[in-house]
Amino acid sequence: MTAAVSDSTIRLAPPARARRLRARIDTRLAGYLFLLPWLVGFFCLTLGPTLSSLYLSFTDFNLLQSPRWIGVQNYVRMFFADPRFWGAVKVTLVYVALSVPAKLLFALGVAMLLDKGIRGLTVYRALFYLPSLLGASVAIAVLWRQIFSADGVVNGVLALFGYTGPSWISTPSTAIYTLVLLSAWQFGSPMIIFLAGLRQIPQDLYEAASMDGASKWRQFRRITLPLLAPVIFFNVVLQTIDAFKAFTSAFIISGGTGGPIDSTLFYTLYLYEEGFGNFRMGYASAMAWVLLIAIAASTAAAFLTSKYWVFYEDDGKR
Amino acid sequence: MSIHGSRRRFLKRGAVVASGLVLPAFGLQSTYAADPVRMRAIWWGGQDRARRTNEAIQIFEKQRAELKIATESNAWADYWTKVATLVAGGNAPDVLQMDYRYLVEYAKRGTLLPLDAYIPKLLDIQDFGANNLDSCRVDAKLFGVNLGTNSTATFLDTAAFAKAGIPLPTYAWTWDDMSRMSQEITKSRGKGFWGCMDSGGGEPAFEVFARQYGKDLYTADGKLGVDADLTAAWLEYWNNMRKANGCVPPDVQALDKGSTDSAMLVLGKAAIDLRHSNFLEGFQLAHKEKLAITMYPQTKGGKWGQYIKPSQMLSVAATTKNAELAVQLTNFLVKDPAGTKVLGIERGVPASPAVRKLLAPDLSEVGRAMVDYIALCNDKVSPLPPPPPTGAGEIQKLLNRQNQKVGFGQATATVAAKEFVEESKRILG
Repeated sequence: MTAAVSDSTIRLAPPARARRLRARIDTRLAGYLFLLPWLVGFFCLTLGPTLSSLYLSFTDFNLLQSPRWIGVQNYVRMFFADPRFWGAVKVTLVYVALSVPAKLLFALGVAMLLDKGIRGLTVYRALFYLPSLLGASVAIAVLWRQIFSADGVVNGVLALFGYTGPSWISTPSTAIYTLVLLSAWQFGSPMIIFLAGLRQIPQDLYEAASMDGASKWRQFRRITLPLLAPVIFFNVVLQTIDAFKAFTSAFIISGGTGGPIDSTLFYTLYLYEEGFGNFRMGYASAMAWVLLIAIAASTAAAFLTSKYWVFYEDDGKR
Repeated sequence: MSIHGSRRRFLKRGAVVASGLVLPAFGLQSTYAADPVRMRAIWWGGQDRARRTNEAIQIFEKQRAELKIATESNAWADYWTKVATLVAGGNAPDVLQMDYRYLVEYAKRGTLLPLDAYIPKLLDIQDFGANNLDSCRVDAKLFGVNLGTNSTATFLDTAAFAKAGIPLPTYAWTWDDMSRMSQEITKSRGKGFWGCMDSGGGEPAFEVFARQYGKDLYTADGKLGVDADLTAAWLEYWNNMRKANGCVPPDVQALDKGSTDSAMLVLGKAAIDLRHSNFLEGFQLAHKEKLAITMYPQTKGGKWGQYIKPSQMLSVAATTKNAELAVQLTNFLVKDPAGTKVLGIERGVPASPAVRKLLAPDLSEVGRAMVDYIALCNDKVSPLPPPPPTGAGEIQKLLNRQNQKVGFGQATATVAAKEFVEESKRILG
């Protein structure tokens, strides 16, 4: 396109215009040059490995010897002969189903409180964002252990009411919920996005509604939620993808095992263990592709259903 | 036309700039004539080991002009992932710490350098003795140099035993003794302290137990050596121990990551810990009460279950560009007084009698206890078992899960043992 435009203009253009054009093209090239690090990164570090992992998923590859083609065996084993795979799928789905709503509700609640125009908003915003920055760190995992272990803070409080709690973080029936809580606690980025969305809702709508005698709850249902729908949709999609890919918290808190008894064995954690711990890189690659397809499918589902619940202000037809 | 000219010029300029930036980063251009020789050494272990090893390597570095050695210390859990990735990427470190469990795997796949040709000129380790050298051989070729010997060992919190009014056990104690003593210790203490850690998921302890019944964990041809009955007996022993309040409950034990700082003994939650002898110094550093060391419990009428093994080895990567230097570094760390003095006995008792003699006068009380312990074990052990097959690491984790299943009441010992045997067979193929 650029070439066609420039060629036709050159023929007609006086020298001054040609110079301007040249400057414009130089700028464009400079733009690509500045993009180069990203492009190199994408093609060499992302696209290349992604494609080679597709190939590897059809091989038996132990990292030390060259891969051996075995067809769809990895996929067959995954679906029909590996109970731990299905265990990991279940753990991950439970985590997604619980952590995404929990985190978004929390984020929306805090965003609405902050939207009330309290003094020192920026300070609070920064403070509430802090957990998201610390989230994946070893320090937080240690903190979480301190809070939810047998002699942790939670049990200290429960003891006041005469109840002796277990070590929540290392009991198979409760461990996953501590990770859900950890995720909900890191509500910073959806909160910021919600806050921006709330700011865009015209205040006169609320004024008109309250003049008509609508309760706060009704205003929330009829004004805030519909007008915030695009932002909610965006957050749901993003957080769902994130939740499917969750790794660090379980990795650090369970010491890399996904324990006890695989109760926190996230899909990605199992993938990592199979690939790097048990030297089954072909199998791990196959798992990665299944995860990619699952995430794509869930995102597609979100987009398909969105027309029933997401409304855009500037789109009269919907 | 002029535009194209300019574009080309621009691109050319850009390419020059880009190559100037990129090429040195990929090591394609050697700009400096006096480049130092660069080598890399990598190991797993705690802080004390990192400090000692770095110090020793720096001394070696200083003895040679133009040598730079980059070092890296990892936790055991991350180490093998790291090494596998480095080797797969054609980026193996020149010198790497090796474990008996992985020696066969790496040697058979051609990733390690055979070292026999360097003995004795560069690698002066003949005094390690034939047995020791053989334990580091695969297919009659030497692929590892022993950094120290160890054996499994029980650590005891002497203060807790005194408080419960029971004498410390001798090497001849039995599993029943351990159960009885553990229960007494639990009784003598308040909430949050138990007699023993829960070692039902500990592969080394299970192995010793099985060997006392004459079974190796793995046979010479890489199959599982134990059956469901023996496994069930083991899991049942620990189940009874838990029920009798002798060992820590499963949700507490689940937080033990196998590292010194998360061990039940070190955390002050238990008085008895089943471990390896070379951990004694680290444990004592982290524990305020005096620790004692003895053998794993025995089975009445059983055989000797323990064995003395190379706790770690040093291996040289087959791809190293500086094989002689790498071998010299290895020799420096296991034989040269300058290096061995710094390393001490943190990795186990040195295999060379000369080094042992050199270190003897400076040993701490704990160090001496450890050396004495290996000497005590010397005639109470059975031969080294065949090296574990590929997949042994997975089975180690499997045992832990099965023990947890029993502990959390998700399966009986019999069912968990049956699953263990079936799953192991699937893993080993």
